[in-house]
Order: sequence, then structure tokens, then C-alpha cells
Amino acid sequence: MSSKTHNANSILLARRTVLQLRTEASRERMKVSKASADLMNYCTEHAMADPLLVGFPTSDNPFKDKKPCTIL
Amino acid sequence: MTTIAMGEMEQLRKEADNLKDQITAARKAMQDTTLQEAAASINVVGRVQLKTRKTLRGHLAKIYAMHWSTDSKLCVSASQDGKLIVWDSITTNKVNAIPLKSSWVMTCAYAPSGNLVACGGLDNMCSIYNLKGKDGNVKVMRELAAHTGYLSCCRFLSDSEIITSSGDCTCVLWDIETGTQKTIFAGHQGDCMSLAVSPDFKFFISGACDFTAKLWDIREGTCRQTFGGHESDINAIGFFPNGNAVITGSDDASCKLYDLRADQELITYQDSSIMCGVTSLAPSLSGRLLLAGYDDFNVNIWDTLKAERVGVLAGHDNRVSCIGVSSDGMACCTGSWDSFLKIWN
Repeated sequence: MSSKTHNANSILLARRTVLQLRTEASRERMKVSKASADLMNYCTEHAMADPLLVGFPTSDNPFKDKKPCTIL
Repeated sequence: MTTIAMGEMEQLRKEADNLKDQITAARKAMQDTTLQEAAASINVVGRVQLKTRKTLRGHLAKIYAMHWSTDSKLCVSASQDGKLIVWDSITTNKVNAIPLKSSWVMTCAYAPSGNLVACGGLDNMCSIYNLKGKDGNVKVMRELAAHTGYLSCCRFLSDSEIITSSGDCTCVLWDIETGTQKTIFAGHQGDCMSLAVSPDFKFFISGACDFTAKLWDIREGTCRQTFGGHESDINAIGFFPNGNAVITGSDDASCKLYDLRADQELITYQDSSIMCGVTSLAPSLSGRLLLAGYDDFNVNIWDTLKAERVGVLAGHDNRVSCIGVSSDGMACCTGSWDSFLKIWN
């Protein structure tokens, strides 16, 4: 690549970076207190339905080997 | 460079620095508290003790990736023994053992429909396999080739679209039917290592070796947000179940939670006793637990709101390379360089 092309690429990249940063800078932001509260509420609301968190009866565990049974 | 060009470069550099300062200040202005403070009144969850319920044996070399099917029963794993195996995790039976053209596989994915699986790696391609072919044989349906670097991760949006991340620093949205690139997501300045799709399928996040995570709008093709803070490569990434936060895992031995609406890091999951990289991560169904795989052969379970370690899964004899929690939240699957997958709950 010629020195001219290399420099042109650097400028293009720099322009693109600035455009991207402008987009990112202009976005709306939420307060950390509200964001945290929402996360905490979601966890609380769904806690009882989270098997790895609250556990569940062994009989409901599809991965637990059933006890052997005899065919009479 | 010409004087004019140098002038413009200098101007652009200054503007970029100004904008970065603006973003930092805007984020700080939102810090009326911290997640740590907000969660001060809730108790840490009790010790989480999961047991290995199944061991899936069959691969002959390191396992690099696994992905659950949406039915919470089947899962697919990829190993450098050159095979993709579809397992029935309950019976431990191998439903399909698919030989790969290239054994240097680094990722695999299960389509939400259950009809297709995909994989890729050092061949720079994403290969799509139809599991439900007419004659019962599993065949390559498409080979998606265009990346100029290794395929690190792939995730289906549907049977007709898939997103890939690559060592060429880009992510791509593909039309599977035509085998063409629909959108190229460029912006990372290091290898893209991992990606995750939002629960509403509108966005995806990527983690890269430039130490940042980026949020992308799938339909617009644009990068909406960039998150920094990690001090090394991001290897793993996932969405918090409500889609409003992102969790990353890095070679810097920490995981971080970034809130999308506050546009910043809320908390870091790290411990001075942990000095090795995070390879993989998955949140539990409610988001309260974070299961993260590490280079030291363990999985650490974190309370996501309190940033305290509440459990360990020790059972592999080598690095834990991949982890996934099933859709119904009933089980966690770990895959390791020791060639085994384990199902825990």
C-alpha cells in the first residue's frame, strides 16, 4: 500500500471513529439507582421459578436416576 | 502525510478525545448510587451446591463449545476430535455424531427450532448442518465463507439467519438460504471472541480482544454502545435474562455486569484468590446466579447482586471451556478440555 493510501485509510478510520463516538455520546442514560432497582426486582420476581437458585423436589428432577423397579 | 492531512488527523484526534471525556462525564452523572449500595439491604443467597447428575462421554479430545437446544433436553458439543455430537442429556445417548471437514472447531450452536446446528473454527467458515434431512443423514447444508479470520462464536436468529464473530475483528449477519453476508458489524479493534443475542432478538453483544464489549442493533447494522473496563481479552459474554444488562468474562480473571440503560459497569465479580482467566459464563434463569468457567478447571457461582462467590463446581480434570444453562433453568452443562461434558443441578 502506498503511503498516500495508508494515510487516506487512517483519516477514514479516524472520521468513522469520531462519528461512532458522537452517536454513543448522544444516547439517553438512566440513573444507576433505577437501573439497579430494576435488576433487583427482576431477580426477586423470578427467584421462585429459578431451579438452580431455590432447588426443587428430587422426584421432579429429570436428570436424577430413577430407582430401579421390578416388573411383576 | 501532507500538512493538510496532518491537520485533519490532529483535529479528529482532539474531537475523539473530547467525545470520550463527554461519555465518561455523562456516565458519572448517572452515578447517584452503586449496585453494591442499592443491594446492601438484601442478603447474599445461601450456599449453592450442585451435583453432577450426568457425564457425557464420547469425545476423544478437548471440547471447545456446547449449546443447549431450546427443548432443554438435547444439546450439541464440538471437540477438536473433529466431531459435533448431539446428546440427549437425560439418557446420555448420542443422537447424532457428525464428522467435520475441519477438526479445528471453536464454536457450535443449536438453532431455536431444533432443526439445524452450526459450527466453525480455524477454517474461517461457519458450516450449517440439517439434523432433520429427509433420508435421516445429517449433511452440510451451507458453508458460510467470507471471514478472513477464525470463527470464534455463532448464534442462530432463526433457521434462515445466523450471526458469527471472528478473529478478523468483525461480526456478520448471514442469510443462510443464499449463503451471503447481510450485514457486517465492524468496529472492534481486536479479535471478536464471543457473542450473545438479546432475548427479543433485536440486538446482540460481542466481546473482543480489544478489552471491550459492544452492543449492536441487528437491523440497523450499527454499534449502539461500547463498554470498557476490562484489562484483558473478553472471552465470554451473555445477556442478563431481562435483556437490560450484559455480563462479560475476561482473561483479567474477572466478570463484569454492564447495565445497557445506565450505559456503564455496575459491578465486578472478582476475588484475589482467583488469578486465572474466565473462559465461559451463563446466568441462571432469574439472573441472580452467574456461573462462570475458569482456566483453573473450576466453575465459580456468583451472587450477581452481591458479587460474592456462593458456590463452586469442581469435577473436571482440565480447563472448563464452555458452559450453558438450559432454557427451563433446570440444569447447567459444562464442557471441558478433559473431553467430558457434565450436567449439574
